[in-house]
Amino acid sequence: MLDIQLREVYILLTINLKENTILLRQSCYKIMDLKQALGKNREAFIKKWFQATIDTYPSQSAKILGKDANRFDNPIGAITHETVADVFNLILTDFTPESLERTLDPVIRIRAVQAFSASEAVSFVYALKDIGEALLDAGMIREFDRLVDQIALASFNRFMKCREEIFLLKATESKRRIHRAFERAGLVAELTEEDLLGSKQI
Amino acid sequence: MSDQLKPDELLNKIDYAPGSGNWMDNTASVQIRPGMYCYAAKAESVQTLGLPNARPWNPLEEDWKLPDNWQEIVFQGLKDRLERFRTFKVFMDICVRCGACADKCHFFLGTGDPKNMPVLRAELLRSVYRNDFSTAGKILSKIPGGKALAGARPMTLDVLKEWWYYFFQCTECRRCSVFCPYGIDTAEITIMAREIFNLLGLNIDWIATPVSNCFKTGNHLGIQPHAFKDMLEFFVEDIESLTGVNCTPQFMKKGADILFITPSGDVFADPGTYTCQGYLILFKYLKDKYGLDVTWSTYASEGGNFGFFTSHETMKRLNAKMYAEARRLGVKWILGGECGHMWRVIHQYMDTMNGPADFLEVPKNPITGTVFENARSTKMVHITEFTADLIKHSKLELDKSRNDDFVMTYHDSCNTSRGMGLLDEPRYVIQNVCNHFYEMPPNTIREQTFCCGSGSGLNAGENMELRMAGALPRANAVKHVHEKFGVNTLGTVCAIDRAALSTLCEYWVPEVRVAGVHELVGNALILPGEKKRTENLRLEPMTGFEEEDDE
Repeated sequence: MLDIQLREVYILLTINLKENTILLRQSCYKIMDLKQALGKNREAFIKKWFQATIDTYPSQSAKILGKDANRFDNPIGAITHETVADVFNLILTDFTPESLERTLDPVIRIRAVQAFSASEAVSFVYALKDIGEALLDAGMIREFDRLVDQIALASFNRFMKCREEIFLLKATESKRRIHRAFERAGLVAELTEEDLLGSKQI
Repeated sequence: MSDQLKPDELLNKIDYAPGSGNWMDNTASVQIRPGMYCYAAKAESVQTLGLPNARPWNPLEEDWKLPDNWQEIVFQGLKDRLERFRTFKVFMDICVRCGACADKCHFFLGTGDPKNMPVLRAELLRSVYRNDFSTAGKILSKIPGGKALAGARPMTLDVLKEWWYYFFQCTECRRCSVFCPYGIDTAEITIMAREIFNLLGLNIDWIATPVSNCFKTGNHLGIQPHAFKDMLEFFVEDIESLTGVNCTPQFMKKGADILFITPSGDVFADPGTYTCQGYLILFKYLKDKYGLDVTWSTYASEGGNFGFFTSHETMKRLNAKMYAEARRLGVKWILGGECGHMWRVIHQYMDTMNGPADFLEVPKNPITGTVFENARSTKMVHITEFTADLIKHSKLELDKSRNDDFVMTYHDSCNTSRGMGLLDEPRYVIQNVCNHFYEMPPNTIREQTFCCGSGSGLNAGENMELRMAGALPRANAVKHVHEKFGVNTLGTVCAIDRAALSTLCEYWVPEVRVAGVHELVGNALILPGEKKRTENLRLEPMTGFEEEDDE
């Protein structure tokens, strides 16, 4: 009796394992298929994503920033275009959260100092979902949305880093410029610059 | 250009806020956003200068504590200036809104805010001008819909707030004017708007307090004479430990050949302090070799002039001390340090403001015999002109390799390049004291240079987002030469730049630092009797000049 039960358990386990392997394989195929589909639609994706990002600016500005001008005459347009293309190329490969964040940096760094709220600053990533729906098979959407979520999270990380840098610049700029000079001259003696910047325990 | 922004779009279709119609009816939507504006002027600073309506106020609050008759003051202020300044009147009338300037402003290119297009920023003021002053505007206002046709609007509190917000988002850099087919100088429109703000007590503190300091103690930082002297003497000690040579300067020496005046930032703020040491080394060299007699002054201890960002009258008051001191000391002419707006004041205003300085001599380099014809009237020479002349005549002994750790590019300060045409001299000096120099792309340098984003009194801390956004076009070009040629140092001849570009680089291109041109001169110049140098003025070891191992 016990033998029979054990055999059943063994059979069940084997079936489960097989199913899991199949599921895993299916999921791998899905990602591979998705990346293949993305690769095929690369140009269309980049073009639409760039336009959607530029359209987050007021329309009068978007008209100018969306132009394919010399990269030094139109830095927002050029950097936005290069960055969305770089990010798109990256997601076609095996990427890490770190490499994703690094690749997103140029465009986030700009948006972090413009008149966007935090959600508006990273909202351009979600434009990919609409673009994906228009360009991809329905079966791939779920997987694609997961990918977009990863990009969005990386964007938010980078946005926070840029904002922290801005606050640090605000807090330390004058100390660095003027206090250091006074300190070297011995005109201020009570606290060193390191003390003031908090990098040394007092 | 004209396909970017058609006149009817400019007038009727600016929907910066969602769902709005005519942009001119929409000024209530102007949100004064933290990070984009500077704090209000302190009442005591405004009081020191005797300017009107000194009181504490906050731009974020509804009530700006304006005088009851503020509209009348604005109207009269505009009227006076239209009558007094022919240029202002012409600039109000002749813009055809071709849009050539629209994408030339660093603040527009960095913020993406359409009201930072120079044409539109000026239109904020022009629309009121048309309502109250132009004949066509008055006739049109009598027919239905005529006001919109004329692009006219009445002066309301919202309009004033919008003016204030956007005219303090202009650094008066004049890049837009380079591209304007009519030569309209939008900086001058900003200057007029800021004068009107001062009639109402609406200055920002980053301008008002330095002006007040300068008025009281002689420099923007409010440093008193003994501290000024202490600081220079400290530099002397540093240089002596580095070179073994004592470069003690002269102060207030009557009968000296030349009075030297530099922005106080060079004396008190890094990295300008290294540039200041460069001046001391140069003057010591010239004294020992050629007997040149240069004096500093703790009274005329500020080359900069934030009065320029306040009003013509304030600018005149601060500028006057340079000439008063030159007269008192009886020098032949004035040599000016590396500064930006100081030179615009000297070059474009001084002569009709406090000049002509006919008690001084036409500047002549006593070592080379060169007469600085460009300074015939103002009697004031920029130090890079002076040093370039010395180098051209082989009067300086230089070791370029001492700057081999500096891979240079050069940022033209708006005021020296567009304001006085000083383009080649700084480059000539850099190329003679450094082995590695690479230009940024042509549409970002010389007359087309991009502003640092912090000029005209906007170098405060609280408006960091504005500054960093405005800095984007410059940073973009710096990043390019950093990546392409390995540039690690951004050279400049402006004290505001030395402070502003350092922060710009920290945010946008952290691998690049900022140096004044005379810092590099100070490194390269071989002083008579100096010991072997192993470190540069920043006390960093120089590659190729390492200390020999005794063992």
